[in-house]
Amino acid sequence: MKDSVVQTLILSDWNRHRFFIMLSIFGGVLALGLVAWGGELPTILGSTWFFVSLIVLGCMMPVSNVINERKKQTLPFLMSLPISVAQYTLAKIVSTFGMFLVPWLSLVVVGVLLIAGRQEIPDGVIPAVLILAGFTLVGFCVVAGVSIATESESWTIGATIALNSSYGFGWYVLIRNRELRTGFANADPVWSATVLTILLSEAAIVAVVLALTFFVQSRKRDFV
Amino acid sequence: MDGFVISQTDKRPIYLQIMEQIKRRVAVGDWAEGQSIPSIRQLAVDLSVSVITVKRAYLELEREGVIVTQQGKGSRVAPNPGLGLRLQEQELKKHLEQAIRLSAVLGLQPEELEGRLREASENIAAKESS
Amino acid sequence: MMDHAIKLDGVRKKYRFFSLDNICLELPPGQIMGLIGPNGAGKSTTIRILMGLVHQDGGDVQVLGHRMPQEQVAAKWDIGFASDDMRLYEAMTLEWHMNLIRSIYPKWDAAYVQLLLKRFGLRADQRIKEFSHGQRVKATLLLVLARRPRLLILDEPTTGLDPVARHEILRELTGVMADEGRSILFSSHNTQDVEQISDQITFIDRGRIIDSMDKEVYLDRWRRLRLEVPAGIELPALPGIINVRQQGRLAIATANVFAPDLANAYENTGARVQSIETMTLEEIFVANVEHSREEVDA
Repeated sequence: MKDSVVQTLILSDWNRHRFFIMLSIFGGVLALGLVAWGGELPTILGSTWFFVSLIVLGCMMPVSNVINERKKQTLPFLMSLPISVAQYTLAKIVSTFGMFLVPWLSLVVVGVLLIAGRQEIPDGVIPAVLILAGFTLVGFCVVAGVSIATESESWTIGATIALNSSYGFGWYVLIRNRELRTGFANADPVWSATVLTILLSEAAIVAVVLALTFFVQSRKRDFV
Repeated sequence: MDGFVISQTDKRPIYLQIMEQIKRRVAVGDWAEGQSIPSIRQLAVDLSVSVITVKRAYLELEREGVIVTQQGKGSRVAPNPGLGLRLQEQELKKHLEQAIRLSAVLGLQPEELEGRLREASENIAAKESS
Repeated sequence: MMDHAIKLDGVRKKYRFFSLDNICLELPPGQIMGLIGPNGAGKSTTIRILMGLVHQDGGDVQVLGHRMPQEQVAAKWDIGFASDDMRLYEAMTLEWHMNLIRSIYPKWDAAYVQLLLKRFGLRADQRIKEFSHGQRVKATLLLVLARRPRLLILDEPTTGLDPVARHEILRELTGVMADEGRSILFSSHNTQDVEQISDQITFIDRGRIIDSMDKEVYLDRWRRLRLEVPAGIELPALPGIINVRQQGRLAIATANVFAPDLANAYENTGARVQSIETMTLEEIFVANVEHSREEVDA
């Protein structure tokens, strides 16, 4: 019986955010449309916009789904339902991650398909897209984890700013690597050890952040 | 509950107000001897008042012989012919005591109070004949 | 049927600038308890401890036979909670919230809900953000009442409401009592409401329970005696009298454990008892808080 309450909460979060999710997918698809159109400017604009929409989604989702519960004072309402703090956290983690991953995955898949389908765009870009999309995923996980663990708007915004500032730097570091640079420009995707290491590290960070979030939350005593 | 009014500006405790209103109905005959009256819980719900207050009112009323409560069967007006008169006797006694207290505050002597009483009764008689 | 709907025993909680100390109270099933006290007295903290939202530092908390906070999930199936700092989702409609609650709880009285919507003057298809303050409070209460929970825990259910709304809510709360198995604990500033509908009253100030007992017994213990004190007579200190204010030849003595002998005791000293008056809960509230603070500070 309790699990159904968790399910109900997850569905309720999806329900409340459905417009927002559709808008972000739509925005991402429009961006890809620009890239598909071709030409230097549309491609640059479109690809930038594509990643920016993933970043924005990654920052807005934890704020809207997690921070706002406390800020808009709906938290006591939820905690009056027959759930424990641990179940509430589980519901929030599942819904927050789900509501990011679905648009993220859809857009990444569409993006990769677009690149593979278009001759003008070298397929070597695919690992780059995955790595960059991975940045936004890691960024989101950290922001989501911070928001769930601290319930603090200031900490969450701090994490958002810190991460957003680091993407550019991260990309700069990557692009200085000659091996990666040549790989990205290649006609076919190059799955070098470096690329795989980077992708695996991103996945590992995601796992660690998730575990940490659960751990910190289980130690809390005063919830409301 | 039609006609029952619990006034919050009336400084008397709620249970007394309830008692008085029940006694009035009995004295006037609206609630007849032996007639069933609402259960404690029902009256509490109808008046938006706590159960314990109605319970107290009913206990006092039972003590005064106005109502009778049977376990499991609810409450009813007590069967007592002289009841109406007795209630009004009680009321009169209370009013007289209040008049005496008030005259003490005003510093009136008992003879002065008697004079006032006669005056008032003459006024009422005059009003009724005109 | 269990012994108590609510039982707190020796509960304490320490915050940086405030602490709850040795909170003991019991609510028998089928009764309403009004929790009153000044702002910051600890009413909300006590209520949150009851709901398992705040973990006490020590002491036992039992709600509907469940130990809190460990068994809070089991307890919350039968508890309806509403607090004045709680909000619903602004962008969603009342109906959306009703569906949410209905999908979780087995007992949902659809007929009663329709009646409440009418009595409260609410439209289910309206968004919460379009409600006035009073409507929002009533909407929150509707969601609680509709499930017919065995225990209602309400933090300031009538605060900030107009007289009509207050009357509507008091009517529904006392209506709950038609079922002997259901109980209510509510906190309020509004002493009139507490006096009207409570069976039990608990007074809390500065984190401590000052009084907790049957409302009628409690009201009966308090009296105001108006005295005329002739020149040269000094009023004695009597047991059961917590306060005497005298100006010139008139004095007012406040009794918190009244017995008829008190009047005689005063008369024996030469003072004259002009009148003995009952006190409203509001007057008792003020006198009680002042008295208890004097005692603690002394």
